[in-house]
Amino acid sequence: MIEAKNLFIELGEFEIKNLNLSVKESEYFCILGPTGSGKTILLESIAGIYRPDSGSILINGRDVTSLLPRDRNVSVVYQDFMLFPNMNIRDNIGFGLKYNSSRVLERSAFRDKIRKTAEMLGISHLLDRHPSTLSGGEKQRAAIARAIITEPKLLLLDEPLSALDTGTKDRLRQELLRIHQLKRTTTIHVTHSFEEAFALADRIAIMHSGRIYQIGTPDEVFRKPESTFVADFVGVENLFHGKAIIRDDLSEIKVNGHNIVSSALREGDVAVSIRPEDILISKDPISSGRNSFNGVVSEVIRRKSTVKLVIDTGIPFRVVLTKRTYDDMELCTGADVYLTFKASATHIV
Amino acid sequence: MQRAWFKYATLFTILLLTLFIFLLIFEIVTHTDSASLFKNFISPEIQFAIRLSLMTSIASTFMCIIIAIPASYALARYQFRGKAIVNTLLDLPMALPPIVAGLGLLLIFGTTTAGTYLADMGLKFVFTPMGIVVAQFAVNISLMLRIVRSTFESINPRYEHVAQTLGCTPFQAFMRTTLPLSKNGVIAGSVITWSRAMGEFGAVLMLAGATRMRTETLPIALYLNISSGELDLAIASATILICISGVALYLFEVKGGLARPY
Repeated sequence: MIEAKNLFIELGEFEIKNLNLSVKESEYFCILGPTGSGKTILLESIAGIYRPDSGSILINGRDVTSLLPRDRNVSVVYQDFMLFPNMNIRDNIGFGLKYNSSRVLERSAFRDKIRKTAEMLGISHLLDRHPSTLSGGEKQRAAIARAIITEPKLLLLDEPLSALDTGTKDRLRQELLRIHQLKRTTTIHVTHSFEEAFALADRIAIMHSGRIYQIGTPDEVFRKPESTFVADFVGVENLFHGKAIIRDDLSEIKVNGHNIVSSALREGDVAVSIRPEDILISKDPISSGRNSFNGVVSEVIRRKSTVKLVIDTGIPFRVVLTKRTYDDMELCTGADVYLTFKASATHIV
Repeated sequence: MQRAWFKYATLFTILLLTLFIFLLIFEIVTHTDSASLFKNFISPEIQFAIRLSLMTSIASTFMCIIIAIPASYALARYQFRGKAIVNTLLDLPMALPPIVAGLGLLLIFGTTTAGTYLADMGLKFVFTPMGIVVAQFAVNISLMLRIVRSTFESINPRYEHVAQTLGCTPFQAFMRTTLPLSKNGVIAGSVITWSRAMGEFGAVLMLAGATRMRTETLPIALYLNISSGELDLAIASATILICISGVALYLFEVKGGLARPY
């Protein structure tokens, strides 16, 4: 278990104020917040790079606040990979086995461990290459291999997917999930992408300007935001967990009794997201859309030029309208409406 | 037409300037014929000056490296009270006339209690070859600091962070990541420092004096021989100094990609 107690850290423009956090054994924990919220400083303080001004950090009950990073048994993966450019991939991955006496292995075991870890990440063929010759996804796989080879008690991931293109990002996200299921290493993953946190996390902490606003399961944070900041930050997307099956070249995802159809093909436990602006709203049912649901307007949030509606169909949908459309439709809280969106607008996360 | 006139005017300026620099060097190296130049190269006085210059400049460059690496690291990585003042002071020797720095050194080692104490212990700097090393160090350390510091600043501190979490002490992490990644900058800085040390005159003259066959480095040899009318010996020292500058400039251009001092 990882605990941060009454943490105060001031570092240049950033500060962390009286932060408390507790991450359970084997948990995949996401810290979600906008850029500049102090997430990285928190992560690096847990790693031991920065010493907090006050407060303490405990790993499995042991106070590590004054320990050097090397004595904490944690590993870090950064957004920009940070592979040592003066070493090839093999030496990068093996780095963590060389300097800590408890991890030093004899030659054959050492090579064996590098090989196995590289195989796990699918980068065995890259071991003799230099980091500069690798693609972003390959670099991040190597960085993850370097981090997990030491079998850390805690894996710290700082925006590990943010520098990757969309396809690579999806694949590596699956990979992170698979590695976590395999190794059960307690993981803290910092991100600004709600989708990422939603897809990976057992629990999420929402962080902003050095404070944690809410901690809970993805569904809790999403459905019951405890402050306007959390609501604004996570409430921009429609994200639901469900069970998917493939039928007639489409996926049908069962979410809370509703069947949502997607043109993306995936089976099993998935998360689906529908962008608020892709949802059509009408007073009468529209027959052409694949997905059509009847619901009641439960909340109206007026913004500068748009209006955000929460429509309860049994699951809450967020819909964004222009002010003009909203006025023309004469909607108000309690109004009975229909939601329609295309199968291609349903993304499977 | 207007544009062409401007273009040719600027190009002509370049031509004149190049010619000027070329003539300046050409006049020195062609003043004596190669046979007498060689004879002067192997004369005991020039041989002594070459040896002394090489030894002192290598020693002072080594000192610059040893001091500049930790000092630049602190300047690049840490914040501390009074950093701005420290920075200005450390940059000062670069702008200071070397002869003034030399005077300061002479006063430190010649007149203060600390200086006399060191001299009693056998560390004599006034009018000695050791003084040459100290004078070269004092004049060159600022530039070395600048080059190494800007090199360290260009390297992401997260390499060290990763290395530390993977089992390194902070010192090991530095030795394994930032230092090897700074190789080019440190080499470039050392080459420039060394070549400036070879040519240092003002500060050396003040602290170590100009004693023939004792504190006679190449620039001092040039000065002494010009003063006593031995033009050929002066030209021999000058020619060697020109060659050293050329080699240093070349090495700096090759290695300096990472670390331009200005």
